[in-house]
Amino acid sequence: MSTLTIDSVTKEYGEVTALDDVSFEIDDEFVVLLGESGAGKSTLLRCINGLTEPTDGDIRLDGDSITRSNAAVGMIFQQHNLVEGLSAFANALTGSLNEWSTVRTLLQQQDEATKTRALEALETVGLLEEAHQRVSQMSGGQQQRVGIARAMVQDPTFVLADEPVASLDPSSAESVMGYLKKAADLHEVSALVSLHQVNIAAHFGERFIGLRDGELMFDATPDELTPALVDDLYGNVETVALSEERTTESTTESEAVEAPL
Amino acid sequence: MSSDSSPISRLQTYLGIGDRAGSPVDRKLQDLKRRKAVRRLWFGLGVVLFAAMMNWSLSLVGFSLAELNRQFPEFVEALTGYFPPTTYFGIPFIDVVQYWQFMIEAELFAASQMTIAIALAGTALGLPGALFFGIMASERVVPYPFNFAFRATMSVIRAIPAIVWVLILIPLGGVGPFTATLAITIDTAGYLGRLFTDELEEIEDGPIEGIRSTGANKSQIISFGMLSQVFRQFLAWIAFDLEHNVRVAITLGVIGAGGLGLELNIQRRTFNYTEMMACIILVVLLAGSVELLSQRLRSYLREDDSEQTGVLEAFVTAPRKIVQSGMGRR
Repeated sequence: MSTLTIDSVTKEYGEVTALDDVSFEIDDEFVVLLGESGAGKSTLLRCINGLTEPTDGDIRLDGDSITRSNAAVGMIFQQHNLVEGLSAFANALTGSLNEWSTVRTLLQQQDEATKTRALEALETVGLLEEAHQRVSQMSGGQQQRVGIARAMVQDPTFVLADEPVASLDPSSAESVMGYLKKAADLHEVSALVSLHQVNIAAHFGERFIGLRDGELMFDATPDELTPALVDDLYGNVETVALSEERTTESTTESEAVEAPL
Repeated sequence: MSSDSSPISRLQTYLGIGDRAGSPVDRKLQDLKRRKAVRRLWFGLGVVLFAAMMNWSLSLVGFSLAELNRQFPEFVEALTGYFPPTTYFGIPFIDVVQYWQFMIEAELFAASQMTIAIALAGTALGLPGALFFGIMASERVVPYPFNFAFRATMSVIRAIPAIVWVLILIPLGGVGPFTATLAITIDTAGYLGRLFTDELEEIEDGPIEGIRSTGANKSQIISFGMLSQVFRQFLAWIAFDLEHNVRVAITLGVIGAGGLGLELNIQRRTFNYTEMMACIILVVLLAGSVELLSQRLRSYLREDDSEQTGVLEAFVTAPRKIVQSGMGRR
């Protein structure tokens, strides 16, 4: 149970303004962040994670300002950013690095409870049997699931995901999103997930935030997310498929969310 | 233009420096000819410069074919010393028994062990230094102006060859294997450290950010985010450096630091060419087998392992598994 507050955050890279006075608050929800490439989605997520510092404004998690990366905010990257030479288990364990000294982590001397936690996280994403396998030998979808497990081992209060399924095929993308939703529900953490695929976004999101040119364009509930709104965000792209299907699907959506689990 | 028959204008056409007239295609053709002429001019200049420098070098070193011609009979005589002829069942061949006898008599195998010991101990003792300087010299670990202090230290170490380090350290350890080991230790810190630094410059940002995002501390970011990416490469470079240090240890032996090189030099001074060749054969075998082992190790590390279950396969992959177990890959 956590509250993330984005308070008039601005981020400038030299002349370029990546984020322009963005404000919103997230309270125990699974929120999807939409927008074109370059709209500022990644910058916003990196600011929340402390990988980048905003030029102006404040980001607070449960009232505390976030100034640097810490375990309370878990991050899932598009390119998963795992340690490829290590096993899935060792990668999941890296989520607990901040709890242990460097020497103990290097010798893999974490206590039994931490190791169990790592295996449980892998079980949540359906990779318990593969825990000993090297990450470099896994498929893209499996690697991303290890990334989810690592974020969960951090025992975060908030999870971020930066286009977690952008480089996956449609079927893997759906199952990875399913696992992400499941993990977030299980650990009772709020999530902010940036996505390109409007279909997947509409399917999993509980709330939608649209960014355009660094500015907040909309903050919508599933009912408010209309094709017109999406068209507006992406500037009338004909192939963005949030057409009639969604309106017919929206009645059965509550069941559909559970389906891939 | 080609209809113009005067030699000068033909030359101008050939070099592409004539009138710029005609269709775009003609003009481009002329342009290309001019570019070719310029290229050839530079190439010609390069050849002349090289010839001048070569001439200077040869005269400085006193290179003389007449000298070669004069000394050649002596060298041929020495060759019969290097490769003593004999006959086996009437077939002329090299008398390998002589080599073998000398190897046993002069305890050359013990000398080889000394050479290996110098190289191994020197590499192992130099490794912590190489790791320290190699990591600290990386711009990813220590920010720009400060990492140069470590880079510069390694440059100075490398600028002084191992053989000179021995001379410097003689007051400390005397002339012998101990000093040679110290020299190789220092040499390894500068040489292997530099290889580590170069390897670290190539790593990707992704895994580093991945580890950073978990709230890990600086040394954890370095070891899990950075060093984990280059672990295999580091092992391969260590194997390569051990190989290099065996050769260095032989060289150091020649100036008196013990081992095979020392024996080699003793035989050279006494003009015992057959015994000298026996030493050289062992040098080749020693350096060759260390290189072979290091190559095998490095190719093991490069291969992506797939799970193997056979007894024979388990035996073959044992070295790799031993190495990997050090990294907690299980």
